[in-house]
Amino acid sequence: MSDKLTTTRRNALKLFGTGAAVLAMPFVIRPRPAWAENGVLNVTTYDKFLPQEFLEKFQKDTGIEVRIRLTDDQGKQYNLLTAEGANPSTDMVTVAGHRYSQFISSKLLQPLDTGKISNWKNLNTAYQDAPWARIDGNLWGLPILAGYEGLARNVDYVKEAPSWEIMFDPQYKGQTSYIVSDFMTIAMQYLGHDGDFVTYAGKPEIAQKATNEARDLLIKHKDMVRKYYDAGSEVQQMFINEDIYLAHSWSGPAAKLIMDGHPVQLSVPKEGTFGFCYTLNVVNNAPNAENAYKLLDAILASPDVGAAMTRQSGYSSTMNGVGDLLTDREKLASTLSQEEVDRIIFFSSINRDMKNEMIDRATAEVKAA
Amino acid sequence: MVNSNTLAGDAAGRGAPIPKYSTGIAQIVNSALYRHTLGAAVESRIGRILLLAGVPVIWLIMLHVGPIYQMLKISLLSHYPIQPGVESHFTLANYAIFFRESLYFTPLIKSFVFATAATAVTLVVVYPVAYYVAKIVKPEGRSKALLLLLVPFWAGELIRTFSVIMLLANRGAVNVLLREIGLIDRPIPMLYTSFSLGFGLVYLICLYMLLPLYSAIEKIPSQYLDAAADLGAGPFTRFRRIILPLSKDGIVSGCSLVFLTCIGVFATPMLLGGPNTVLFPETISGFFHGASDKWPVGAAFALIMLVTALITAGIFMRLVGGKKGSAF
Repeated sequence: MSDKLTTTRRNALKLFGTGAAVLAMPFVIRPRPAWAENGVLNVTTYDKFLPQEFLEKFQKDTGIEVRIRLTDDQGKQYNLLTAEGANPSTDMVTVAGHRYSQFISSKLLQPLDTGKISNWKNLNTAYQDAPWARIDGNLWGLPILAGYEGLARNVDYVKEAPSWEIMFDPQYKGQTSYIVSDFMTIAMQYLGHDGDFVTYAGKPEIAQKATNEARDLLIKHKDMVRKYYDAGSEVQQMFINEDIYLAHSWSGPAAKLIMDGHPVQLSVPKEGTFGFCYTLNVVNNAPNAENAYKLLDAILASPDVGAAMTRQSGYSSTMNGVGDLLTDREKLASTLSQEEVDRIIFFSSINRDMKNEMIDRATAEVKAA
Repeated sequence: MVNSNTLAGDAAGRGAPIPKYSTGIAQIVNSALYRHTLGAAVESRIGRILLLAGVPVIWLIMLHVGPIYQMLKISLLSHYPIQPGVESHFTLANYAIFFRESLYFTPLIKSFVFATAATAVTLVVVYPVAYYVAKIVKPEGRSKALLLLLVPFWAGELIRTFSVIMLLANRGAVNVLLREIGLIDRPIPMLYTSFSLGFGLVYLICLYMLLPLYSAIEKIPSQYLDAAADLGAGPFTRFRRIILPLSKDGIVSGCSLVFLTCIGVFATPMLLGGPNTVLFPETISGFFHGASDKWPVGAAFALIMLVTALITAGIFMRLVGGKKGSAF
């Protein structure tokens, strides 16, 4: 082999070839985008929402590989989808009904074509055309699980909790917990204000005054709190370790504790609370939208799927026939008296921007106080 | 003028016979193109620097400077992520929010106080351990002692944080033990307090203090201590006049590492902290996944924290480590 580099056509081609390969490397080794895959479905959802057994059966029956990306926050989904713009890397997201307006106004979701879901009739009629679900004349997602913000208590230490007042009872000092932003809206309800801001549209001064009152209440009773938590698993852990006896909790995590036999009960106090519904939505420009519809149809095919979702997440299923498949303990965990059900108001998507702005700031003020 | 033949010879060793290899990689390495390129690089000073520093520099740019640049860019935008139909423009308003509102200043001050306290406690706790391993343990046993100290760090940060929860919870190991031996009737609330956060942080970051301290103390010649003892210096005097000044580099490095880690730590305060231990990273995270999702404000605050922390660490290093031979 010669030491000398001679400028031959072969050497020039080698040089160009190597250069092209180096330049192409970032493209070659990049994560393969969803739109480049066949037989794939990318789903962004919460932990324990889609049962593994169901997914395995779906994959076996259809040959579609389901890739789950977990999320724990509506804002994170929104930010990621917005950042990805017209080339989303996920086909489906899990949006709470009251966040619809934000996702829809940013053109992140596509309207749901219920004609493509042959098992649509298996969805409980209360959810098939709920007022919160129809925006701009369209439905935008398949409701899968419903929940509410409840008052959870360790029944070994707290026998009754008819009012949110108990969260400020000095007897339980240092033994309560809540998500500040969520409990702020409950505190507004407790004080007789509109925690969902629907009636404050166009009235920012009144809304600010109401928010400030709730903020001041939480700051005044800050010594009642053991911890401000963020995720459902945290409140579960605190109840199990008996670090707290009372908490404002989403119904799912608390119901799951009840199902697992822990001495916890969940109630809706007399001042009322808010309800919400998680839906599976097809993303705008989803590369595998047809596969997404197949998954939605499969979810509705059998109440077994809904029952498994309830058992795993603790939230109530939206599908017909699920109640017949649950055990007494599971039913007890996810059932409320009619009186309590009547106290639940579903979150509205009206005036969300004002609500977000004021609640975020008040939350920061409570934490910093 | 240097011809290509000479360059190729330089790369492989001037005048050495060029062996023939049969493997693909060897053929590439032995090819004129490769040898010419490498030879040209080795020939010049800049080429040698590029060869040596190329990979670390690319690493630093891609994984450190790049993300910070991206954060800086986002912090100067009026909107991000940019929604359809919304125009985003450059602005300093996101930085102004921090200086306008005392609301956000308080968590930053808390973070600095907490990081400083955690650094001081870590130094006090870890120094004797480092000294013991470096000077008391026999040389042949030091590797084993260090290995034993490093074992917990093989587990991830979150696993170790959860182990602290299991330890300090109302039904955790400590409370159960105290109850079993009859010292308490009701559990002592240790978790979600400043104590649990401090305990957890010191446990999580003590490695960053241990290794620089061990390295510095181990280099102190034992003869110095023997000579001082012969001249009548007591243990405290030996420590103050010899050990402390000579381990100063380790103290500066360890404290800087621990302080900078503490100031930006996120998951541990979230899991172990209580309502009165909300630190600045948690405030920043609120802007990224709060209800109204304000990435640019969060990015601006993150940069403010980064710059402030670096300035503080720089001042500390200058004050404590800057003067050669000074004993604090």
